Amino acid sequence: MAFTLGTVAVGFAAMNTGNNLLYLLLGAMLGFIAVSGWLSEQAIRGLRVERRAPRAVTVGLDMRLTYEVTNEKRRLPSLAVELLEQGLPESAFLVHVPAGGHTTTKSVNSFVRRGIYPLGSVTLSTGFPFGLFRKERDIHMPGEITVWPRTDRAVREPAPRVGRIPSTGMSARGAAGSRGEYRSLRDYRVGDDSRDIHWKSSARLRGPVIREYERDGAETTWICLDLRGEPGEAAEVAVEVAASLASRAVSQHRPFALVVGDDVLEPADGMGQLERALDVLARADFSPDAPPPSPPVSPSNCILVGIDARPGFGDTLAVGRRARLVHKDADE
Amino acid sequence: MNLRLFHRRLAVLMGVAGLVAFAGGAGFEPLSALLATIALGTALFWHPDPERSARMERFWLPLAALLVARALWHVFVIEDDIVIPVVDLLLLLLTAEALRSLDAPNDLRLYTLSFALILASTAYRPGVLFLIAFVGYIGLATVALMVGHLRRQAERHEVREVPLGRSLLSTTGGLSCLILGVALVVFVTFPRVSQGWAGRGETMTTSIAGFSDQVSLGEHGSTILGNPQIVLRVEFPNGPPAGLGGLHWRGRSYDRFDGVRWTRSDNLPPSSAPTTWYRERWEGESIEQRIFGSALDTRVLFALHPALEIDSNNGIQPLFDNAGDFIYWGRGQPAYTAWAPTGPPPTEELRQPAGGYHPSDDHFLQLPRRFDPAITELADSLTVGIDNRYDRAVAIRDWLQTFTYTRELPTTARETTLSHFLFERRAGHCEYFSTAMVTMLRAIGIEARNVNGFLGGQWNDFGNYLVVTQNEAHSWVEIWFPGYGWVEFDPTPAGSGTAEIASSRWWPGRILFDGVQHRWNKWVLDYSMDDQLGIFSGLLGSRTLEDLEQPNTPTDATTQSPWAALVLLLVAAAGWYWVRATGPTVEPGTQMYMQLRSASSRAGVGVTPGLTPLALVERIRAESATTARDAERVVDLYLRSRYGHERLGEPELREMREALRTARRALRTRA
Repeated sequence: MAFTLGTVAVGFAAMNTGNNLLYLLLGAMLGFIAVSGWLSEQAIRGLRVERRAPRAVTVGLDMRLTYEVTNEKRRLPSLAVELLEQGLPESAFLVHVPAGGHTTTKSVNSFVRRGIYPLGSVTLSTGFPFGLFRKERDIHMPGEITVWPRTDRAVREPAPRVGRIPSTGMSARGAAGSRGEYRSLRDYRVGDDSRDIHWKSSARLRGPVIREYERDGAETTWICLDLRGEPGEAAEVAVEVAASLASRAVSQHRPFALVVGDDVLEPADGMGQLERALDVLARADFSPDAPPPSPPVSPSNCILVGIDARPGFGDTLAVGRRARLVHKDADE
Repeated sequence: MNLRLFHRRLAVLMGVAGLVAFAGGAGFEPLSALLATIALGTALFWHPDPERSARMERFWLPLAALLVARALWHVFVIEDDIVIPVVDLLLLLLTAEALRSLDAPNDLRLYTLSFALILASTAYRPGVLFLIAFVGYIGLATVALMVGHLRRQAERHEVREVPLGRSLLSTTGGLSCLILGVALVVFVTFPRVSQGWAGRGETMTTSIAGFSDQVSLGEHGSTILGNPQIVLRVEFPNGPPAGLGGLHWRGRSYDRFDGVRWTRSDNLPPSSAPTTWYRERWEGESIEQRIFGSALDTRVLFALHPALEIDSNNGIQPLFDNAGDFIYWGRGQPAYTAWAPTGPPPTEELRQPAGGYHPSDDHFLQLPRRFDPAITELADSLTVGIDNRYDRAVAIRDWLQTFTYTRELPTTARETTLSHFLFERRAGHCEYFSTAMVTMLRAIGIEARNVNGFLGGQWNDFGNYLVVTQNEAHSWVEIWFPGYGWVEFDPTPAGSGTAEIASSRWWPGRILFDGVQHRWNKWVLDYSMDDQLGIFSGLLGSRTLEDLEQPNTPTDATTQSPWAALVLLLVAAAGWYWVRATGPTVEPGTQMYMQLRSASSRAGVGVTPGLTPLALVERIRAESATTARDAERVVDLYLRSRYGHERLGEPELREMREALRTARRALRTRA
């Protein structure tokens, strides 16, 4: 912009004074503009781009998009070319692609929300050679990235059968008899049942400590995500809790099943099952009018994850404010 | 190669080019020029670390403040030219930036300061040195801007290795030729709507003796001694006349002689002949002379005698005084065109006794008070029995030409007298000869005056023009012939020494350089609308400028058509390129979907980056079910074209457009 304004000013001065050297200077400045425009155009022309994108990526983790770029021009190299995905903040950079040559570059981005992100255009842009102006060219490369919810959210161990709704709002805990063999002690997490606090150890360690119990390894964990509720932060937390439960089941080599609205992911285990579950969770859309989860098994064998607590399930992990109020009422 | 170091060196060299360009125009104060040169030279090889650079900052600021104060003092106290103090300040800032740490992101400041120097030098009339510096500056700027851009981009993207090969650098350097080509085209074709830039050329004026209001005997001749300063460059558009070495480039005439010095009378009555005499009674077609004078400290226009007309369009205004001499008003280097007859009237006509107007006796028959009567006797004796003034003048001239020409000046006061020259020494230079002839003619009653100017010149084959130097300073005589005006007589014998100049070892190189300088002056500094019209009339096949002004005049179609076809071809190529470069690159379906997203966003529907098309519809539905129907149609068609690889036909696109329009209207209403 400054260069353009300067050119206009020099042109104005030349016409006003009739000073021929200013015309010469004006000509040189226009020459810079013309050459800059032409070379920028040439730098982004004749480039064939192929994108290698991961099928899915987890929220908050780096996503690397790799671009294989071939310069199909016979004589002119391409220099200082940026590749920017539409809608993504970080770009990839090609410092030099020789004429007829091939090179690879990558961009690193991360997502803050789960979802299905369409990959549309890759914008090739360059300010080469002088940085005075930028030229852009869009290349259509349809595709999409599935952004999975986080699976590392700290969630208490759910119980398969539910006796009462606890007051913490983050969990509903089953009856005492539902516990298996004692396994270990661990730090308290929000949502843990206060009856599981091991008071002696807590006093000794000066912080709440919870007892954990072994469960039957062959038992399938039925995770039901309740989509009823407004989209927003609470809904995202609910999805992440469901994803974390699924991830935990896989890490413990246990089968799990997922029910999201009408969709049912049949019980299975392993990483494949987890990816399928994360795909489903990535697409989950919350709505106040959404149908309730309808598992093919008794709800009492299922863990309900949602914004609000609902009775009738084996365990409930509710994350919304209303859930807490309901729990309080229940406690009172 | 260290990219930052290389880039800094290029930027510093741009500063050096700016320095040279300004020196080519206005020159510098020696101290500041020397300091700046040393500092920039140092900056090419030494770069302080960031800590030392920060310490040096404390040094530059007070110095800059001092120079600002100096500039203000120049403007408000002594009311002097501000350019030099400002340029000194620019040099200081340039030096300070050049001597910063390599980490400093100051390349834009370096570019700007060097450009400011180039810009400042255009305020003057710089010589070829400017051209050299300008070409160098463009070459350096091309490479520096490219390297700087690569450097910034590489740093931004944390790329460590930038392949800056020689071929890339040389190709980029070659781009500067392209830029200079564009500059040339713009320079030649950009319409000159204003004229008359004379620049601040007075700082470059050449001091010259012999053309002020009074000239002492011997003073003018002193300039002849070894002064090769070029004062005139003369082109002859109609071809050079015969006898170039004998052309008298007339400057000023002097009417009063007191025995020691020639002066111009303040109260001189009009004493030039009517132009019609020269036009009608002198011989031959007129000689057109395009004269490019150097900026001299005396504002005299030189031309062949008699100048029928003098015209200029480079900002000077020729003036015609009572003696018939041409002076001018204006600044800078005069460039003008003069016309003169090819020769004097026929000898037979001059021999005829003619009555008529005679100029003032008081002025043109004036002799010194203590005029030696022996000179009068000598003049009488030489012209006894001759009845016309032409033959009398020839007799005196021929007798004087038997003397010896010498550039050795008399050493004592007695030897400087005219009598000593005529009766004892019988040798001298042009001033003695012309003064002797004028006084002898006046002594026998013939009106005459002394004239100073230049004789001959050296033909420059490189530029096809005549070079006149101060070595060729000369004096001669003009004699009044009633009915014909002032006619030149030159009593000085041959041997003025110009051959010595031409045989000088440096002369061929100097002539070549001067050819470049002359072209520079003519085609760059003094380039005008007339030159433009001349070029275009040549390209379009018009024979004269008048053809251009008369559209009905038939021109040579065979000459015109190739150029017209070329122009049309270029325009068509540019149009094709533009259409290709700016054609639509986004599918219309995608465009419309993006427009729907933008409209939704403006309407306050929460549109987040990861929002899927169907989720967008749902959000719109939450706001308005009616709008959602149209949005759904847009999204459906978008998904079909985008992910279903379905090519949308015109009916679908029309439907999509209609749905988008309705949805946008509804969303706008909601917003």
